[in-house]
Amino acid sequence: MSKKIGRRTFVKGATSAVLGLATAPLLSAGHSYAAATKNRALDYRNLGKTGLRVTSVSMGAMNCSDPAVILRAFDLGVNFFDTARRYMGGRNEEIVGKVLQGKRDKVLIQTKVRMAAGERENRESVETSLKSLRTDYVDVLLAHSLKTPDEVCDPPLLEFLQAMKKEGKARFTGFSTHTDMAPLLRAAAKAGCHEVALTSYNFTHSNELKEAIALAAKAGIGVVAMKTQAGGYKAHNMGGLSPHQAALKYVLMDQNVSTAIPGVTTIEQIEECVSVMGTEFSRKDSRALQQYDSYLQGRICTMCGGCEGECPYGVNHTDFMRAAMYYDGYENKNLAEEALREGGLLQAAKRCSECSSCSIVCGRGVDVRAQVELLKRVFA
Amino acid sequence: MRRRNWMVLIYLFVCFLVPRHVFTQTSNMEPLVPKETPDGWIARGAPQTFTKETLFEHINGQADLFLQYGFEGSIFAVYGNNKSSQEKIDLDIYDMGAVVQAFGVFSRFRQDDRPGGIGLDSYLDDRYAFFYKGKYFVALQATESSSDGIKQIARTVESRIVDSSPPPKEIGYFPKRGLKPGSIEYYPQGLMGRQFLKRGFKATYVKPDKTEAAAEGPDSNLFIAVFPNPEEAESAFRSFKEVLIKKGSAHAPLSPQTGFEPARGEDAYQGKLIIAHKGPYLIGAAGFEKEKDAESLLAELSASIK
Repeated sequence: MSKKIGRRTFVKGATSAVLGLATAPLLSAGHSYAAATKNRALDYRNLGKTGLRVTSVSMGAMNCSDPAVILRAFDLGVNFFDTARRYMGGRNEEIVGKVLQGKRDKVLIQTKVRMAAGERENRESVETSLKSLRTDYVDVLLAHSLKTPDEVCDPPLLEFLQAMKKEGKARFTGFSTHTDMAPLLRAAAKAGCHEVALTSYNFTHSNELKEAIALAAKAGIGVVAMKTQAGGYKAHNMGGLSPHQAALKYVLMDQNVSTAIPGVTTIEQIEECVSVMGTEFSRKDSRALQQYDSYLQGRICTMCGGCEGECPYGVNHTDFMRAAMYYDGYENKNLAEEALREGGLLQAAKRCSECSSCSIVCGRGVDVRAQVELLKRVFA
Repeated sequence: MRRRNWMVLIYLFVCFLVPRHVFTQTSNMEPLVPKETPDGWIARGAPQTFTKETLFEHINGQADLFLQYGFEGSIFAVYGNNKSSQEKIDLDIYDMGAVVQAFGVFSRFRQDDRPGGIGLDSYLDDRYAFFYKGKYFVALQATESSSDGIKQIARTVESRIVDSSPPPKEIGYFPKRGLKPGSIEYYPQGLMGRQFLKRGFKATYVKPDKTEAAAEGPDSNLFIAVFPNPEEAESAFRSFKEVLIKKGSAHAPLSPQTGFEPARGEDAYQGKLIIAHKGPYLIGAAGFEKEKDAESLLAELSASIK
């Protein structure tokens, strides 16, 4: 999961509106956990108009070096594996290729090429990928990480992808996007020049992205979702609640998503993710996400800016709250410390906590003073 | 109130008069980037720096791996050659915060043993070079086959890194006998694909049987899971043992002459397993066809832990 996307989208979108709107109709629809747990079969979906049937939960192999984890995914029935030429300097493709050798007819492999200026470089990259993956073709070849709508229909890009298909090196082609996803998906839907799109997508994202995904799916593009768990809080901090499964179910509720590729590195993680298949977003999940939301309420600053200028001493509390989120939520002390240093707030934290009462009143109920105290204790 | 005024003044002093670098410990990596090398490789434009927040923009999803390993910051430069306008070499220097983390990333990037004699350990071919030295992991990639150019830039960068930290001591614990060169890896979490093992080292051992069937089977590994104290190592050992018992694959314990009390079992993906704990470490052997081989290597590993 991308830290960047996770953080950015997290603060933008981790609002009660997102979860509340998503879960309320489900609660009223009377979905029961018991019903949801009965169906444990594998769930297959169409990958757009490609004709490929993919398991709704697939595997992002990106950070996985352990053959056991990939084999476990395969044994659990996962049939779609995502990698890229650049991951681990090419080693990730080697590992995926080695593990899936002899199983090629039972799995679908997606890899990515980082588009370079020269056609020869791109071709070499794809050929190296095929060699590493121990296969003559990949099922899906993506142009890695496009950033602007103009790039989506860039003629040399499309020409190259077409050539790869004609030469039998890729069955289907598309692109991946990590930033500004909605405009790129809309551009792709309008132009109809791609068969698959890999996009960041999780419960923190806006309706704009959801709508763009719907548009892309309607245009026949197979939408693959990554960063599906948006970082997530650690279970031990939330009274045992692990929002991972609920977050994954939230993404899969969207039938416009063909498959999700959570990035997993352990057997426990792939088992946790795969067990989501064939289950519905249940009352229990609603409760989990509501609990998650209420956990966020009063704890997490959404950077709404409502408190800016409130402190009579000019302390920027939004930066404090960001640091608190890094520490408390992401459990990343270094990142929190860096945020404090960048904002020159280590000294201010000392000052701040000496105020007899904090004049900041947060509309979302964040106890600003408590959060500053927490940071002061940790970084004193 | 007077106290508050004083504090506001102090705060303003701190904010405006004390130099920023007093508070900013992020190291400046620019001096590590050479402007040119003796054989004509010249940096094109100013180097770009990346933080935890922005690394993603530079290397996309791969940033996750670096963040898992404690990434602190990085610098990126592109080199061109006077002789050929087409040729270029990308240089990335990553500050990983500690030598063990720099080694960890390096270990996940190198593909096989092709040491280039650079830094504490390195991998070098005609298109790629990876090495680590101190807390830095350095990666170079050439558009054209250019091992000389890559080596030149790598050596120049290496000479500019003054961090003299030794490599992680655990690397030296693995027995050399049968060790596949360049196979030791460090994982910051999920060692051997298991959440409860957390961080640690894994090494691959060459199978004496070189048949196709043996090559298809699981790798033969020794591993060292590192815990903060012996109690936690023992607790993880018990958890591991329970997993083996639950799966019905736990074997009767051995009566070892090795000085430690191992547990044995079998795993569908990693084959035969022998685990033990010593001090803050949980050590183990996985995937060895002959238990005798696994036992003796594990005993050697255990003995080397002082």
